[in-house]
Amino acid sequence: MDTALVGDLRAALAPDRVRVGALELDLYARDAGAISGHAEVVCFPLTAEEVQAAVRVARAHGRPFVPRGSGTGLAGGAVPVGDPVVIVTTKMTRVLSIDEDERMAWVEPGVLNLDLTRAVAHLGLHYAPDPSSQQSCSVGGNVATNSGGPHCLLYGVTSAHVLAIEVCLPDGSLALLGGLDAEPFGYDLRGAFVGSEGTMGIATRIAVRLTPDPPAVRTLLLDFTSVEDAAATVSAIIAAGHVPAALEMMDAEITRAVEDFVHAGFPRDAAAVLLVEVDGLPAGTDAAAQEVGEIGRAHGARTVRVAADEAERALLWKGRKSAFGAIARIAPNYYLHDAVVPRTRLVEVMRAVYEIAARHELMMMNVFHAGDGNLHPLIVFDRRTPGVMERVMAAGDAIITACVEAGGVLSGEHGIGLEKRDLMPLLFSAADLDAQARLRDVFDPDGVSNPTKVLPAGSRCGDLQRVPEGVWI
Amino acid sequence: MTLTGARLRVDDDELVACVACGLCLPHCPTYRVTGEESASPRGRIAAMRAVHFDGRPLDDDFTRFMDLCVQCRACEAVCPSSVPFGHLMEGARDTLARETRYQPWWRRAGYRILGHHRLLLAASTALAVAQRARVVPRRLGLPRLPLRRTTLAPTGTDVWLFTGCVMDAWMRPVHASVVRVLTAAGAGVALPGAGADCCGALHAHAGLLDDARALARRVMSSMPGDAPVLVDSAGCGAALEDYRHLVGTREAERFAARVQDVSEWLAPRIDQLPAAPRHRRPTVAVQDPCHLQHVQKAHQHVRTVLRPFVDVVELDDEGLCCGAGGAYAAQHPELAGAIRDRKVGAIRRSGATVVASANPGCVMHLAAAGLVVRHPFELIDDALGGPGAG
Amino acid sequence: MDLTAFAEAVGTEGPVTAVGGRTQWDVGGAVAPGTREVRAPEGILEYEPGEMTVRCGAATTVREVDEVVGAHGQLVALPDEAGATVGGVLAVGRSGVRRLGYGPARDVLLEARYVSAEGTLVKAGGPTVKNVSGFDLCRLLVGSLGTIGLLGEVRLRCRPRPARSQWFAGEVDPFALHRELYRPTSILWDGSTTWVLLEGHPVDVDDQARLARLAPVDGPPAVPAEGRRSLRPSELRALTGAFVAEIGVGIVHLPHPVDPPAPAAPDLHRRIKAAFDPTGRLNPGRQA
Repeated sequence: MDTALVGDLRAALAPDRVRVGALELDLYARDAGAISGHAEVVCFPLTAEEVQAAVRVARAHGRPFVPRGSGTGLAGGAVPVGDPVVIVTTKMTRVLSIDEDERMAWVEPGVLNLDLTRAVAHLGLHYAPDPSSQQSCSVGGNVATNSGGPHCLLYGVTSAHVLAIEVCLPDGSLALLGGLDAEPFGYDLRGAFVGSEGTMGIATRIAVRLTPDPPAVRTLLLDFTSVEDAAATVSAIIAAGHVPAALEMMDAEITRAVEDFVHAGFPRDAAAVLLVEVDGLPAGTDAAAQEVGEIGRAHGARTVRVAADEAERALLWKGRKSAFGAIARIAPNYYLHDAVVPRTRLVEVMRAVYEIAARHELMMMNVFHAGDGNLHPLIVFDRRTPGVMERVMAAGDAIITACVEAGGVLSGEHGIGLEKRDLMPLLFSAADLDAQARLRDVFDPDGVSNPTKVLPAGSRCGDLQRVPEGVWI
Repeated sequence: MTLTGARLRVDDDELVACVACGLCLPHCPTYRVTGEESASPRGRIAAMRAVHFDGRPLDDDFTRFMDLCVQCRACEAVCPSSVPFGHLMEGARDTLARETRYQPWWRRAGYRILGHHRLLLAASTALAVAQRARVVPRRLGLPRLPLRRTTLAPTGTDVWLFTGCVMDAWMRPVHASVVRVLTAAGAGVALPGAGADCCGALHAHAGLLDDARALARRVMSSMPGDAPVLVDSAGCGAALEDYRHLVGTREAERFAARVQDVSEWLAPRIDQLPAAPRHRRPTVAVQDPCHLQHVQKAHQHVRTVLRPFVDVVELDDEGLCCGAGGAYAAQHPELAGAIRDRKVGAIRRSGATVVASANPGCVMHLAAAGLVVRHPFELIDDALGGPGAG
Repeated sequence: MDLTAFAEAVGTEGPVTAVGGRTQWDVGGAVAPGTREVRAPEGILEYEPGEMTVRCGAATTVREVDEVVGAHGQLVALPDEAGATVGGVLAVGRSGVRRLGYGPARDVLLEARYVSAEGTLVKAGGPTVKNVSGFDLCRLLVGSLGTIGLLGEVRLRCRPRPARSQWFAGEVDPFALHRELYRPTSILWDGSTTWVLLEGHPVDVDDQARLARLAPVDGPPAVPAEGRRSLRPSELRALTGAFVAEIGVGIVHLPHPVDPPAPAAPDLHRRIKAAFDPTGRLNPGRQA
C-alpha cells in the first residue's frame, strides 16, 4: 500500500471515504463487463472540490485516476488499469436544481438515470436517454459513454440532452464546458467531452435537457415467420417517413426465452418479433400506429398486437427489457456485444453473425435497436467449460469485423473502453487516430485520466503509451 | 478463478450465476444510502467469490460486508439471472458463525432468549418496569413495552394463528385484533400452546442454522393437523414457509404448504366481513415488509383487505426496505436510521397520516421515527368496532 | 469521393481558407489578407433513403441536398439560405430557426473527411446514425470556423419531411405557447407578434393552432441578419427594442452587429487550436 498516497487522500477527503482493504479493492476491479484490473485505492468524494482534491493527490503521487459511476459499463471503461486511484461518484447523488420553465436540470454525476426521470415526472417531463440499465446507471456514466437506449432513435443520444458540463480536468482545475445559452461561443468542448469515457477528466455537475412527456403513445408487437420480413418491415417503416420512438427487434431464441420468463404473450414460435412504439400528438400517433400495422401486414406480419392500455404497454416493454433475465435461465454466463451496421445491411449481417456463432460452436441470440441498426448479439455460455472463453472472444472479434466490413462502426452504445480499443484500427487510419489523440491530449496532456482506454497504444504519432502489466482480459 | 475453493457453505452454481450487471444496486437499501459496492448485492457476491474461489480470508472486512446486509431479498426479485441471494447470504453467515467469532456469546444469548418464550416474557416485563423507571437508554429504540398483557383466547379450530416471540411479548393487542377479524370472517382461531415460541427467522439470518432448525421442529409440532397456519408477522411467515428448505423433510414441506399470511387468507374472503361506516376513513400508506413482498410475494393482499375500510395510498419508492431488518436496526442503528429516513420521506410525500405495516420490526422502527404505524388488521378491527364490537 | 486534389490544394503550408457560398463569410472575423482560397468538391455521392443519411461534397449547397432528399420525403435540418454550402454552414455552426423542433446543426453531422493543417486527410465520426466509436471530432468540427480542418466531404443525418407544415401567427404570449404546445418546430417573437411553425399530421396541426389561437400565415417574419445574440431561453422575456427571438431556444436576431462573447474555457480553447493548427494557417484571422 502506498501509505503516503492514502494519507494524503484521507486528509483531502475524509478517512472513512478512502478504502484500501484488499477485499474491498477487489470489488472495484471490474465494471459489468468481462475485463478485470486492480485498483490501488478507492475514494468517494462528495463535492466537486473533493473530486479536484482527489485528482491532485493522485497526480502528486504519480498515479493515474479512473472515474467510476455505478459500474454498469460493459466495455471496461471503469476497469482500473495501472494501479490507479479510483474516484467513485456514487455518493454525489443530488438533483441540484430543476428549471421547469427552461426544461432543464443541474445534477450531480452520481444521480441514477431513472431517478432523474422520477424526480421530474410530476412536471410532465422525463430524461430521454433510456439505456436498458437506466435504473442503475448514473448520468455521469451516461455522459462518459454517450449512452443511447431504445428511445434515442427519435429523441437522440445523450449528447443531444446535455447542455453544459462542469468538469474537473485532469490537472485538477474546474472548467465549464458548454453553457445554458443557445450557442455557447467557441469550440464545442461539451460535445468533445461527451463520450470521452473518462479520459478527459471527471464531470462534477451536469446540466441536462428535460423532455416533455408525449401526449399520446402507442405500442405494437408484430411477429414474423422470417427474419427477412421483420427487417424489411423496419426499412419500410423508416422509408414511409416514420421515426418511431422505439423500434426493437428480437430473434426467435430470445423471444422464446423471454416468453418463458415473463409470459407477456410473445409468440413462442415467431422467427422474429418487432416491438414498435410511436408517440407524439394524438392524430399523428394514431395514424402512425395504423400505418405501422399495415406496413407490417404488407410484409408478412402474422399478428399485430396493439397495447390496449398502460399496463399492457408496460408488459410488452418488460418482455423486451427482460432479455438478460431470460438468458440466465439457459446458461450462467453471457457476453453482450454491441455493434452498428447500416439499417439496410441488417439481414445480411445477422446471417453472418449466426454463421460465426455456429462456426465457433456457441449459442447466440440477438436483440436489436433495429431502427438505428444497432445489434446486440448475446453469446450464451458457461465459463467453466474448458476453452469456451477463447471461442467467445474469437467470435466477438469476428462479429465486430463483419459489422465494420458491412459499413458499420465499432460501438453503438457501450463505448470502446478496453474491450474494443485494439480494434480501433479497423475503423480509423493512423491519421484519424492521431487526430483523436490530439483532442484527448489537449485535455489530458500527461495521460493520467483513465489512461489506456479508447485509443490503442501509439495513436499519437511519435508517442508510446505504456500498457501496464497484469491486466487480465 | 479456481473452482475448488469451497470455503463457504454455499452452492457453487448459485454463486457463479451472478454476471455483475448491477441491476440489483438501486433496489438494495444499504447501497442506496452508501453508494458503496461492498454494501450492494453485487459486491457482496463478489466478496463471497473472492473468499470461496480465490482464497481471500474470512476477515473483518468480509464479516462486515456480510453483516451489513439487511437481508431484505429485494435484489432477488429484480435479478435478471435469478441469483438466490438469500441462500447465499445465509450460507455465508452460517460459515462465519461456525468459523469465526461473528456471533459472539452475548448475541447468541440474545437469540436464545427469543426461543424461550417464558424467559422472553419475564425479561420484557422487567424491561417495561425499567422503562417506566426511566433507566432504559432511548438509544435502544425500544417501543413502550406493556406491563401487563391481555390474555388471548382461541375461538375455534378452523385456522391456527402463529403467535411467535416478540409480537406476542410486545404487541399482543395485534394478535387480539387478528383473532377478532378472523373470527368475524367466519373462521375459528386456534392458538398453539407451548412450543410455538419463535419461528427462528432471526437465527437463520444470523447464520445460526442449527438453532433455527431446532426451533422449526418445535413450531411445527405445536400446530399439528391440516388447518391453515396463519401468520400476522410478515417476517415469520416467510421463515415458516422456508422450513421446506431449512428442515427439508416431507413433514416440513407439508407444513410449509399450510402457511399463509393473514392478509393472504382474508383477501379471497373479504366480502364475509361486515361493511364499515364510510366516515372517518384514514388515509393509509402501505409499507410492504420485505419478506412479505420479495419472498412470500403476498403483499398485494394487504391492499385488498384494507381497501374496504381505509383510503389506501401507495408510496413512490418501489417498496424499498425501511431498515428494520429484524435485529438489524438494533445492531446497525446508524445505517438503519439512514435507510429509514428515505422511507419516512416517501411516507411524507404520500400525504398519508397512518402507515400500515404487517411486520412488528418495521412497526417499531418506523414508530421510533414518530410515525403512526398500525398492523393492517388493527385498522380493520378499528373500523369494525374494535374490542367492543360483537 | 477522391479528396486528394482538395488535400493537395490545401497543401502543407501557407495560410488557407475554404470558400462556400460566402453567405456567412464575416462570422468570426475577417480572414487575414493574402490567405489562399480553396474550394471543396461538390455533388451528392451517396443517398439511401432507407438509411436516412446523405453523403456529399462539402461545397454542395444545402438547397441541392434538400431537393434530392426532399424527393424522398426527407430533409436535412440545416439553414438553407441561397448559395449556402453544407461545409460552410457546418463550419459556422449556426442553426436555422427550426432548431426548436429539429435540434441544433451540430447534431446533423455524422461523419466528415477533412484536410488537416498538415495537409493530411482525416476521417471523423462514422457512417451510421448511432455511433460511439472513439472521440467525437465531428462535434468539435461543427462551429470551428474551419480552424481545425477544412471539410472535404460530409455525411448528414436526414429527417422525415412532415405531412403538413404551416406557419401561424397571432398576438399571443409566446412563452405560454412554448409551455402548452407539444414540440412546435419554431416559435419566433418580435415583442408583440408571435409566429409558430407547426408540423405533423394535419389534424394535429389544426388542433394545436386552435389551442394556441393562431391564424395561418404565408411564412415566418423577415429575420434581421446583422446581429445575433445567444441567450438562455428564459432571458428572452426581458428583451426590448427591435429583434426577432427564437423562443425556447434563446437566439436573438438583431438589426445591428453584436460583439461575440469570449469563449467559456479560453485555455482549453487555445490548446485545441494549437494542437490541430500549430502554425495557425487555417482561416487565420477567424476566432472560433
